[in-house]
Formats: sequence, structure tokens, C-alpha cells
Amino acid sequence: MAVNTARNNLRLYVLSGVLVLWCCAICLRLVQLQIFQYGQFERKKDHEQQRTFEVSARRGIIYDRAGNQLAGSTAVDSVFAIPSQVPDLAGAISLISRITKDDPRETLARCQAAKTFCWVSRKAENDISQRIRDLHLRGIYFQKESKRFYPKQELAAQTLGYVGMDDQGLSGIEREFDGQLAGKPGKMLLSVDARNNTFSSVEQQPEPGQNIVLTIDQQIQYIAERELAQAIADTHAVAGTVIVENPHTGEILALANQPTFNPNQTRAVTPASLKNHAVSDIYEPGSTFKLVTISGALEEKVTNPNEIFDCQMGSILFNGMRIRDSKPHGLLSVTDVLAESSDVGSIKIALRLGDERFYKYIRDFGFGSQTGIELPGETRGMTKPVSRWSKVSIAAISMGQEIGISPIQLANLISTFANDGVAVPPRIVAATVEPQTAPKMVAFHPAEGHRVISSETAAEMKQMMRKVVLEGTARKAVLLGYSSAGKTGTAQKVDPATGAYSRTKYVASFAGFAPINNPAVVVAVILDSAVGLHQGGQVSAPVFQRITQQVLEYLHVPHDLELPASRQVLMATQIHDQDLSDGPQDHVGAGIGITEDGASSQQVEASNNAGTSAPASQVGIIPAAMREREPVTATPLAAPTTTSQPSVAQPISGTVVLDVQRSGIVVPSFIGKSVRAVAEMAQESGLDLDSVGSGVARDQSPPPGSHVAAGSQVIVRFAR
Amino acid sequence: MAKRVSVDGWLFTVTLLLVFIGLVMVFSASAVMAKERYGSGYFFLLRQLGWATGGILAMVAAMKIDYRRYKHPAVVFPLLGLTTLMLISVFFLDRSHHTHRWIHLAGFSFQPSEMAKPALILFLAYFLADKTKSIGDWRNTILPAVIPTMLFIGLIVFQPDLGTAIACAAITVCVLFVAGMDMRYLGYAFLASLLPLYFLIFHVAYRRARVLAFLNPYSDPQGKGFHIIQSLIAVSTGGITGLGLMEGKQKLFYLPEPHTDFIFAVTAEELGLLGSLIVVLLFSIFLWRGIRTAVHTQETFGRFLVVGITCMVVVQAFINMSVVLGLMPTKGIPLPFVSYGGSSLFITLACVGVLLNISKQAE
Repeated sequence: MAVNTARNNLRLYVLSGVLVLWCCAICLRLVQLQIFQYGQFERKKDHEQQRTFEVSARRGIIYDRAGNQLAGSTAVDSVFAIPSQVPDLAGAISLISRITKDDPRETLARCQAAKTFCWVSRKAENDISQRIRDLHLRGIYFQKESKRFYPKQELAAQTLGYVGMDDQGLSGIEREFDGQLAGKPGKMLLSVDARNNTFSSVEQQPEPGQNIVLTIDQQIQYIAERELAQAIADTHAVAGTVIVENPHTGEILALANQPTFNPNQTRAVTPASLKNHAVSDIYEPGSTFKLVTISGALEEKVTNPNEIFDCQMGSILFNGMRIRDSKPHGLLSVTDVLAESSDVGSIKIALRLGDERFYKYIRDFGFGSQTGIELPGETRGMTKPVSRWSKVSIAAISMGQEIGISPIQLANLISTFANDGVAVPPRIVAATVEPQTAPKMVAFHPAEGHRVISSETAAEMKQMMRKVVLEGTARKAVLLGYSSAGKTGTAQKVDPATGAYSRTKYVASFAGFAPINNPAVVVAVILDSAVGLHQGGQVSAPVFQRITQQVLEYLHVPHDLELPASRQVLMATQIHDQDLSDGPQDHVGAGIGITEDGASSQQVEASNNAGTSAPASQVGIIPAAMREREPVTATPLAAPTTTSQPSVAQPISGTVVLDVQRSGIVVPSFIGKSVRAVAEMAQESGLDLDSVGSGVARDQSPPPGSHVAAGSQVIVRFAR
Repeated sequence: MAKRVSVDGWLFTVTLLLVFIGLVMVFSASAVMAKERYGSGYFFLLRQLGWATGGILAMVAAMKIDYRRYKHPAVVFPLLGLTTLMLISVFFLDRSHHTHRWIHLAGFSFQPSEMAKPALILFLAYFLADKTKSIGDWRNTILPAVIPTMLFIGLIVFQPDLGTAIACAAITVCVLFVAGMDMRYLGYAFLASLLPLYFLIFHVAYRRARVLAFLNPYSDPQGKGFHIIQSLIAVSTGGITGLGLMEGKQKLFYLPEPHTDFIFAVTAEELGLLGSLIVVLLFSIFLWRGIRTAVHTQETFGRFLVVGITCMVVVQAFINMSVVLGLMPTKGIPLPFVSYGGSSLFITLACVGVLLNISKQAE
């Protein structure tokens, strides 16, 4: 037994010895693989089996000032193929191409080149991706991506711009703010093994881009675009642009261009429709430039509004150049030189000013430099320094020739007069805000303005421009119930073929503001190459009239001219009819309350001044009534309300307010209190205070008595 | 000759450690895939946890039962018969994946071939226990001893599950060898098995492919060599300290069966050389304590049981590791205690229970 046991134990040891040897072999192999061949196989693995692809982040939303989405993003499916898994690649691609209407050959070529991954259709519409899904093709997969979507279609198309397939901004705000809007794309890791199992995982979450709030008001934008389109249809102009601006803050409320495009359908975009004429066009301003000539002369006190100039029956010979007025005038006061737009008169005024001083005002008013508006492709215009002026330059420039300006510069010029001589550069972006679930209020801080002319000169200019509308070349710019002022311009275009002035092509412009005291809006209208009637006063002034009338009513700007009660209902319908009527019109509003009793209108203006002439605010605030308006629909504006309802003076504003909550706590009145008192009150009420300026509270948003959610932001402007 | 009162602590601890490592690695290897396929990353972990709990209970129970009770024809032959019956029944019950390996009953899946290994060990121990003197008699001892083995191997090969069949053969050879069988017969048996092995391997397309792939994996890296290459990539990526738990990339559909047959590759990738050497070390300790128990068990039935069970665990483990490391052609053999697989884990743990009971009574 012992021998047997010993022998059997020996066999046990032999068996375990064999197993231990095997164990050693395993250990050695582990050492060999993990130390000596460490990482040796890695490269091959990545190369053949995995592929990371980018998934676009949700692009930031572009809002108008009231928080309406102008550009947003929707989740759509992108279709991709794993070619090695598709049994019949050519067949599958041709089936899909039939649905997407893409070129099957191009897609097939790409997919044949790729083994693991290729896009078949990026960002397909939902019905298209559903139809592809219904094919149940093997090796075809879907990835959610975000696609840019412009819910308002053509609205503000050139301002917003559009994006390419990878959501890269290609024009407008989309391009200028591409960095902020884009966010960071995410990364997906797609793995395919030899048995064609697919596995995708998120390697990096996409980060959404920042949202942008524009100063644009979509309702005003809509009005401007509708009226511009109507004007283009009526006048057969090749292009046109309309700018609506708040002269006190430089906020662009609307910026319309024709021709236009639908940014949702970028395949149909033409270069002409992409052009944002308001900022990128250079044109000879013509008579509107006389405003610079005359305001400079007034500021330098080389003349006064009542001084009489001999306009020599519309003809002057200056340094060998003969200049003729379109109408012969005899003796005209400076006011009438502007009202009648006499070239001879403005040349004489410019000569008083002299080259150097004239050039200084040209530059001070912002010509020859960019306004700095947040849009790509802004032009500086064309100005020559005095050293390059010829002997006749001063005469040409005084009436708006030999100089190139952009429409936005023109609007800026008018705004300077409307804003008591202080030029506030135009801005179109109110704020950039972090991506968040709910919109909130943001404050708009205007760019720093600079004084160009004294407020006395500005006041004189305003009255003179008022006369242009009442008695001069722009009688079609007369509004109902509102005073308005402005200047017409008609410039011959330079024919690029001959280099000489064209006899048939004109740029017709009108730029003005209303009401005359504490102007709410500046509106500039420029029509390029109108057929038939082509004078600024004939074609552009009526557009100004329609737009401004509607915008003022929409903003609830109180009427500063009395309307006869019997005419009030009529007026409402007239405005409506005017929109649709075509052909030249008599100045419909002229008879209403203006020429009929001009004296009383002056009184009304004066009495309204007390109510409306609050100091021009650097940071204004939108009153609740404006914020709480109904969301805009595609229907035309409702008939404007009339003066029979008492309305409160509401200065137009600088604060963009998004999202109004109707429940919650009541906002107290901060007006007249110190910064410290306001801060304490805000804290007690549970409101978040955003104070602007110092001194005593002047304005607040939301206004006293509004209901807001606890913790909402209240913006209070202080001034000494 | 004083009997020890307690079980072998080493064996007990090593077993629990391996089960624990198994749970961790099953979760790590399967979480992503389980989430993708079943909606929950814990799908495989929870099932494995259930089986491990049951298995450990069975182990503790078996530890308490005197192993000599099994040395009875009323235990051995019904078990043998039942196993045969189940092995035959899978051909009629299960047709998934072109193989016949599983019995599905009341929500559980059970692999009868797992049962075949302990049944064989018990039979061999019982049959050879009193025949150590006549071990040279091939007609009355060896032939009857290997008949059930041949039967089982035959049935398992046609499931087809060559890996388990080879494991059965290896266990039988080990027990016979320790029982003192003449080396000549081993030689004969080896020669006799060459012909069927040749046909089984080289006339079944996928096995031939596997062997060829093993010899030169890079002849077809995307196809037949794929498994072995992906496994080697995983191991070599691990380095000394590994990528860290859950960090492995190869399990993401590159490794075939990352939570079962190739779990050692995932271990090597995520825990590195240190982790994989610990696993190898644990199995070596299991071998050492098993052999030591066998040496200390004079009673032949107990000794053969110990050898059978020890070899069953260790040989399977080494085959599995060798496959993962490219030392052997691929076979479907799980890593005992560690791989996901309920029936395998449960039965192996129960067998360890028997082993522990014997260790308690060893001298």
C-alpha cells in the first residue's frame, strides 16, 4: 500500500508538474504580450475598425427684441451608411437618391471610397427621413442632428443670413457671429466589427451655441418688408432698402432689402438677393447730402435759416462747370433751399463753409467710416480728402455728388438731427446670451455717441426738414396725426459702361423721422433704378409715409397732431387702402389737421412736448404695453387705434425685453428713488436689479404694477 | 491520522476571490453591450450574481455532506443516465445558433454538457476506487471506465462543442493517470484519437479555419483571424497596469463573447499584467491546494474525486487562457468561476464544495 501510495503520489506530482509548466507558459506569454509587445496592435485597430464623426451642436437661436425666434434649430435625421454592411450599395443609394433627389453617382462614389462610414443624406426633412426609414435597408442608419430653421421665412433674410450644410454661417448675423452661435460639435464613435455588428457611442457631447438677441422688431420688420416689396412692384425698381432706426439709441428696428430670399431654401439663393444693400451699397446720395452742407453752415454760423440766397433762376457757372436746378428758383431762404432742394443754393452755402470745414462735417457725420453695425461687409463709403478735391469738388459734394455713402450712413445722419445733434452709431445686436431653456430679459447698451452739431442747430435742422415735408419736395411723406420731417434725394447713377451719369437710372431716396419732437423712429427708404417716376419725393417718400405711419401706430406713439373726429375712422381705412393702392398719390394726409389748421397743429405739438420731451435716454426701456403685444402672425397689421383712446407717453427704448410673465409679484415703482433705496426695495420684493447709470431712478422695466415671476430682473436707469 | 476539522481555507478563499473577480469583470465586459441589447447595463451582472449566490449556497451545502455518500451505485448511475438523457434531449429541444447545447426551462438556460464533467468524475472515481490493483486489466477496468467518457464525448462533439469534449477527455486522462494506468494505454488512446481528431478538425470548415487562423492569424485579419487578433490586441493594449476597469475598448464588439469565453482578454486589457497574473496565480493556488488535498487523501475514491475536480477547474482555466493568448486554437471553453454562464458557475462551485468536504477529511 505504501509503495502504491508513493507511486500514486509521484503521478500526482508529475501531473501537477505538467500543469505548472503550462501555467508558466501562460505567464511568459502574458509578459511577452503586455510588456514586450505592449500597444503594438493598437494602430491597426483604430485604423480599420473605428471612425469618429462629428455631430453638429445646436446652433444658438436668434431672437428679435420681443423674444420671437427669427432663426432656430430643429432636430432632424441625417442618414449614413456603413458600406460594408450594405448588400447592394448601388441599389440602396439609388433608392435613397430617388427620395432625396440628390445625385446618386456622387453619393455612390463617396460611399464606395469609405468602408466604415459615409453620409448619404445630411439633415433630411422629417418626411424624407421617414420614407428612407420605411425602406428598411440594411446598413443604413440614422443620426439625430440639428438643422437651422428660419420660422419667419424671408423675414430679415439678409440680416440673419443663412448657413451651410455644416451649420457654418455664410452671411449676415450667422456669419458675423458664427463663433458664438456655433457651439462645439460633438463626436460620435462608430465601431464596426468583422461580424458587422455596429456600435455607436457618444464620445463628446455637443455644446449648444450662444443665443443672440437682435434689436430688430419682427413686426416693424414685417411692415418695412411688405411696404418695400409693394414699392418695388409699383416702381419696378431693381433693388431697394429700408432702414428703421431708433435715433436715440441707434437700435435698428427693421432692415429690409429687396430682392430677398428664403434662408430655408439656400439652393435657390442668388448673389443679388443675398446682398444687404443697407450696409454694403455705395451710392451717390444726391440731395439728401445737402443736409450735411446746410447743417455744417448753420453750426459754423456762416448763415442762418432765414438768410436769402439768390438761386439765379436755377443756373450757376462755377469754375467752368455749369450746374442747373431741376426747377428755376429765384430768391430762396436757406430753409427753402433745402425744401426746394436747390443745387445752386447749396453750392453757395457750401462755398461759405469752405473745403476744410465742409470736409470736417462730412467726416463728423460718419461718412467715410464704418458705423460699426454688427453685420458683415459694411462699406465705409467713398470720401476723398480735401487734398484730392478738384476745383469743382465742393460744388459737387454739396449736392451729393462725387461722394459715395451707404444707406445706413444716411439713416445715421438723419438720426443725428433727430437726436439733438448727437450721433449714436447704429446697432443691430442687443446682446449675446448663454444658451438656456427660457429666454430672459436683457439690457441693450447703446454705443457711445458723439455730438456733431449743437442742439440749437439740430432744432433748426428739424424745423427745416419739417418744411421739406410740408411745403417742399416731400409732400408725400406727410403722416396722419403725426408730424414728420425728412429730405428727398434723387441721384443719377453712374453708368458703368460709359463712366458718365446715366439719363435713365436714378437712385431715389427719402430719409426722415417722426414725430418732430422726441422722434420715435428714423426711416430711410432707397429705391434703385425705378422705372417711370424716379424722384425721391415721388417714389420713396410714399414708402416712408406708409411705413412710418404704421410703425408709429404700432409703437403706440401718441399723435401730436389733432385728427378731426369725423376723419378718424376714415383714416384707419385709408391707411389700409393706401397699402394696396398703386400709382402716384396725392398726399392724402395733407388735408387732415395739418394744412387745414396749421396753427393749431403747432399748438398741439407744443402741448405734447411737455409730455413727450423726456431727456433722450441713453438706455431706454420698453413699456409693458409694447412688450405684451400679441405674437406676430402673417396677417397684416390690424387697423391702427386712434387718438380717441388716451395713450401714455412712451419713449422708444433701448431695452430688449424677452418673455413676459403675467403672474407672480408686482413690480413697485422705483422712479425718483436713489440707487441704494432701489436696491433695497428690489431685494425686499424679490427682484433681481440691473441698474444702469447713477443718480436718481428715471426709467424702469418692467413698469410699476407689472406682474413678474419672483427673481425676475428689473432694469432701472438712473440719471442725475 | 488526526482528521482536520476545518476545510482548506486557501481553496475556499481562492474560489470566492475568483467568483468576485468574475462578477466585476462580467459587469465591466458586458455593461455597454447589455445596455445596448437589453436596456440595462446590469443585465448580465444581476444574473451572474444570482447564479453565484446559488452556487455558493450549493458549495456550502456540498461542503457539509460527507463525500462518501456519493460512493453508491444509486447515486452514480442515475446521474450518468440523467446526463446521457439530457445530452441526447438537447438535439431535439434546442436549435438556436445552429448548435444544440442548451436546455431552456422556466426562464433558465442550462447546458447539459456542464453536467457531463462532474458525472464523469464521479463515475471514474467510483469505478476505479476499488480497482487500483487491476488497473492494468484493460478489458475489465480501463475499457469499462472509458465507455461513458466515449459516449459523452461522442454526444458533445455532435452538439457540436469540441472544447467541452476535449475537456472531458483531459479530465478522464488525468484521473486514469493518477489511478496508475499504464502509460502504454495512454499512448494507444492518443494514437487512436488522432484519426477522429483529424476528421473533426480538418473536415469541419470552421474548425479548420480556426486552426489555420491560429497558425497564421494575419492571413485573414478581418475574417477567420479576427477573434484571435482582437484578443491579442486587447491583451497587448493592457500593458502592465491596464487601462482601468470599464475603460477597455476591445469589448465593444471587437472581442467575441467579451463576458464569456474572452473575459480573460478583457481582464488583461483593463487590469493589465498585474491583474491577469493575479488571476493566473489564483488558479495556480487552486492547483497547489487541490494536489495537496489529493496527496493527503489516502482513500482512493476521495483522491480520484479531488484529482478530477481540480483538473476540471485548472485544465479548463489554462485552456481558456491559452486560447485568449493565442497559444491554442479558439475553442468555446469558459474561464471557471470568472466567465459569465450560470450552469457552469453553479456546477463548478458545487464541485468545489465536494472538494472542500474532502479537504476537511484529509489527513
